Amino acid sequence: MTKYVIKRVIAAILTLWALVTIVFFLSRLMPGEPFTNPKLTPQVIENMNKYYGFDKPLIVQYFQYMGNLLHGNFGYSMKYTNKTVNYIIGQTFPFSADLGIRALTLAISFGLVLGILAARKRGTKIDFFCVLIAIIGTSIPDFIMGALLQYFFGIKWGLLPVALYKGFKYTILPATALAFYTLASVSRIMRASMLEVTSQDYIKTARSKGLSEARITIRHQIRNAIMPVMTILGPTVAAVLTGTFVIEAIFAIPGMGKYYVESVNNNDYSMILGMTMFYGIFLVTANLIVDILYGVADPRVRIGKK
Amino acid sequence: MDNLSKDMFVIKGKSIEKMESISRPSLSFWQDAWRRLRKNRAAFVGLCIIIFYVILAIFAPMLSKYGFSTMDAANQHAAPSLQHWFGTDATGRDQWVRTWMGARVSLSIGLFSATINMCVGAVLGGLCGFYGGKLDMIMMRIVDILYGIPSLIITILVMMVLGKGVAPLIVAMCVVGWIGTCRFVRGEVYRLKEQDFVMAAKVLGVSDFVIIVKHIIPNIVGMLVTNLCMAIPGAIFQEAFLSYIGLGIAPPRCSWGILAKEGIAYLRVHPHEVAIPAAIICTTMLALNLLGDGLRDAVDPKLRGTE
Amino acid sequence: MKKRLLALAMVVAMIVATLAACSTPGSDSGSGEGEKVFKYATNTEPTTFDLTKGNSIGDNEIQHAISEGLTRNTGGNVTPGLAESWDISEDGCVYTFHLRDANWSDGVPIKAQDFVYSWQRLVDPEVSSPYAWYLDTIAVKNAAAVNAGEMDPSELGIKAIDDKTLEVTLDYPMTVLLSALGMQTNLNPLRQDIVEKYGAEFAATADKNVYSGPFVLTSTENNLYVFEKNPEFWDADNIKLDRVELNYIEKADTALAMYENGELDYVRLDNAVVENYKDRDDYGIYLNGNVDYCYINPNSENKVWANKNFRLALNYALNRTEYNQLANAGMYNPYNALCFPGLSGKDGKTYGETYDVNSYAYPMDGDVAKAKEYLDAAMKELGISDPSQIEIEFVTTDAESNKKIAEVLQEQWQNALGIKVNIRQVTYADIYGQVYPTFDYEIGYAGWGPDYDDPTTYLNLFRSDVNWYTPYGNPDFDAKLDAAQKETGDANKRMDLLNEAEQILIEDGAWVPLQARNQSYLLSPKMKDVTFYSFSINIDWAYADVAE
Repeated sequence: MTKYVIKRVIAAILTLWALVTIVFFLSRLMPGEPFTNPKLTPQVIENMNKYYGFDKPLIVQYFQYMGNLLHGNFGYSMKYTNKTVNYIIGQTFPFSADLGIRALTLAISFGLVLGILAARKRGTKIDFFCVLIAIIGTSIPDFIMGALLQYFFGIKWGLLPVALYKGFKYTILPATALAFYTLASVSRIMRASMLEVTSQDYIKTARSKGLSEARITIRHQIRNAIMPVMTILGPTVAAVLTGTFVIEAIFAIPGMGKYYVESVNNNDYSMILGMTMFYGIFLVTANLIVDILYGVADPRVRIGKK
Repeated sequence: MDNLSKDMFVIKGKSIEKMESISRPSLSFWQDAWRRLRKNRAAFVGLCIIIFYVILAIFAPMLSKYGFSTMDAANQHAAPSLQHWFGTDATGRDQWVRTWMGARVSLSIGLFSATINMCVGAVLGGLCGFYGGKLDMIMMRIVDILYGIPSLIITILVMMVLGKGVAPLIVAMCVVGWIGTCRFVRGEVYRLKEQDFVMAAKVLGVSDFVIIVKHIIPNIVGMLVTNLCMAIPGAIFQEAFLSYIGLGIAPPRCSWGILAKEGIAYLRVHPHEVAIPAAIICTTMLALNLLGDGLRDAVDPKLRGTE
Repeated sequence: MKKRLLALAMVVAMIVATLAACSTPGSDSGSGEGEKVFKYATNTEPTTFDLTKGNSIGDNEIQHAISEGLTRNTGGNVTPGLAESWDISEDGCVYTFHLRDANWSDGVPIKAQDFVYSWQRLVDPEVSSPYAWYLDTIAVKNAAAVNAGEMDPSELGIKAIDDKTLEVTLDYPMTVLLSALGMQTNLNPLRQDIVEKYGAEFAATADKNVYSGPFVLTSTENNLYVFEKNPEFWDADNIKLDRVELNYIEKADTALAMYENGELDYVRLDNAVVENYKDRDDYGIYLNGNVDYCYINPNSENKVWANKNFRLALNYALNRTEYNQLANAGMYNPYNALCFPGLSGKDGKTYGETYDVNSYAYPMDGDVAKAKEYLDAAMKELGISDPSQIEIEFVTTDAESNKKIAEVLQEQWQNALGIKVNIRQVTYADIYGQVYPTFDYEIGYAGWGPDYDDPTTYLNLFRSDVNWYTPYGNPDFDAKLDAAQKETGDANKRMDLLNEAEQILIEDGAWVPLQARNQSYLLSPKMKDVTFYSFSINIDWAYADVAE
């Protein structure tokens, strides 16, 4: 196991290097320039290109960037002058992470409960109710879900704050809106996966041993059924923690999501790379943890073994 | 016992033919699945809704007297009425026609990109999971990298090379869309390949190919179908997001996602403009999910033969 | 079953309790009793607080509150700022400013050298300010040469005679100089020692800066910008507000909801929702100075664009009233000329009042018959027999509102002229980074906000030696502008020359005018003396007050 983890960590570093390199060159291929203010004159653009070193050959720029990166320095944003990418991430990440953790807690706990209930009570009203929630969750996009929650709970009934992020009651609506999609997919996958394992021999064995239904569900079914859920959660965790553009915009939360999308739209190269790198670290770590957990959930599984 | 005498019995002879014949017709895996699907009422309703929508998408724009881009300054934001069944939008365009014009784009993007993604992902994920080792290690790192590249960059570049339209959009969505399924299938295969029936097949000397096709795929088809049903709305909304930032289909063409996006701005003033596309999308998803559940049950080998 | 429900309820309660117990990163800022506070929202995030690098109306509005120029321009009313008085040389090219005794927010006196440093920094190519071109547009001597790296910054036309006297030299007389000094905050003073102390981090946060204006910035964290009254400000006695909070809120809907909950005192309204609010007392509207139009590229590979009759056909085919109704919910002003009608014109009247644009510009409701005549003439010249053979490409950015505008124009042109119009949507970075600079377009939607209160801010874009946005050029047009620049004595005659230049553009079909933009807003009735302006500043609350 230790050997496997060490191997994976080395691979993770190589992966991140490849990611940064690919995104570095891909972002330069994108049409447009990073200086997009309609008022910039050709002379000003020339000066700005020199200032940011874009007049140098691309390969020189690449090595400069990698050099800075090794010191943990993501460079300066081109749009938000005088602010480093590190500073912007440091300012915005706590909000995104806080919102993300709340949403994930809601999504995973309720998603699992609904999925398990639906599978246990297959074909009943409870099952139908769970399917309905899942369909609403997946087929209403976040921009409508967020706007509806805000409109009804915030404006129409005045129960919760409309926007901003200043305390527990501010977190309820955005966390719910953000949780919905993940909740729906977790419950759907959990239900399908539970049904998958229900007819396995070891369940029959357990039942014939005379174990109680609750014990069978908890000890045997859930543990075996949870693997597919973990698979989808890997990238989801990374994505949700590093900010979601739409929900943060609707509820005016000062998170990272906006910068991630905006940087690509503005060709803000250093911001794109910084955001990608930050997200990449989360992604690689999350996937590593999921792979290790596979073995924990089902001792027969040995990832990496032929 | 004493009353039984030998002459009460007659030897009728044995017929090899009869011994070997199968009383019920033999059903292949897929025949059995189709038989079970037809019996599932909810799934059938789902299938009907989808067929109904497809028919409307093909014929409704042709049969309406309104063009999908014809504007009408006298009829901005009209509520649904006999003239305009779904009302009109901000520029007085008929929403009924636009909804079904949009269905053409959304349904084709949703179905094609989700299906392609699923197939590619299932094959690659299956290989990774089954063979593991170096292949898996390398593939999964590629997957990590692809996941890490902002999808917007990829879409912008694909559009730059291929131009605009439905087909380039599908391509752009497929470049990275398959990796979710890939990771998912890989995890499932890892789990399945250690199970007894695979072990048994291996011991009997069955080839890898047959094991994958006969033993592993039928066991994950159910999960794949569930995944597919959730991927379709995902694709529809991704298209809407891309259109929103100018990377989707060229105006004045539209899609469900675009209609919903345009409508949400008027949530407080003209709620029908967002409610109708949202309702259509929801019912489509409901239908797809019902159908998907039916399919899942139909192809589940463990439910085979049970009614 | 009951047991299970109970267990479920307990799980739910536990999760909620856990989430509730964790504190969120932001914290609520309390406000003191009896303070006069103004809270409002913006939908464009400020990009910098370094005044040299400010590059948008949003940046400029903030600097206008935290820094002070030689003059102060409050909604067009120009009053002395840090300059107590000034003398203008006879040829109108040399301005001598006499500074008053005033201090920075840290108590250090403001000197003439602070202005010199600021202006030199603005044009220094090494600093690469996005607004470096501004000094050249207001004719400051050697500004262009310094910015191009051909001259040392010390040769710029600004000199400190002593600590309290400043001399500015212009290339040619600039009647709007005093008004520009009061609103364009890139021209306000900077403290060299502070800038050098923080280096690249200067103004990155509120405490890494000093302030010369009526307010100081105390926080820029988490999309909330807090301003507090600057006791060192020379006119602090007349500043009424104690604190101002600016929230960056991207969605207009969200800001509106907060306004309705009483959390904000001012919000901008989206055109989509105006119909629900326009009869309310707190509703208002102002011209924000933006004039939107389509640039035309006469050098395009598509030969039709070089044809004047074709360009006129497009202009006459457009029903601008209906266009505005469809594309902008009728909220903007359809417009058929180039120069913003709110500019100063002759004898204290606005440009729009001085000249009757409708007498010489394209008809507001369009004239399809005349458009067809022009189209027929164009087709004859181009050797085209059927209008459906003409295919043009319209380029625009990806914003939702721009898409609607493109769709309406497409529909109108296709219906009126029978030509084919394709829409090409590109990203913001693409259109301003590549499409316009390299003239990679046929016709494109854009607009211009005025940089100062004079028609030349629009007209200069179309000069033949300015290859910016459009390669259009016409020697007659250039001649009129040159004549206007030389006309130093008679301001009215100068204005007439500029107006004649605008008419040449109209006769040439040099571009396709569309609208002069309005901005609707809601402003709490308790607010007094909030000023709206069309030039570089939209909302000005420096001298605002809260009614008791």
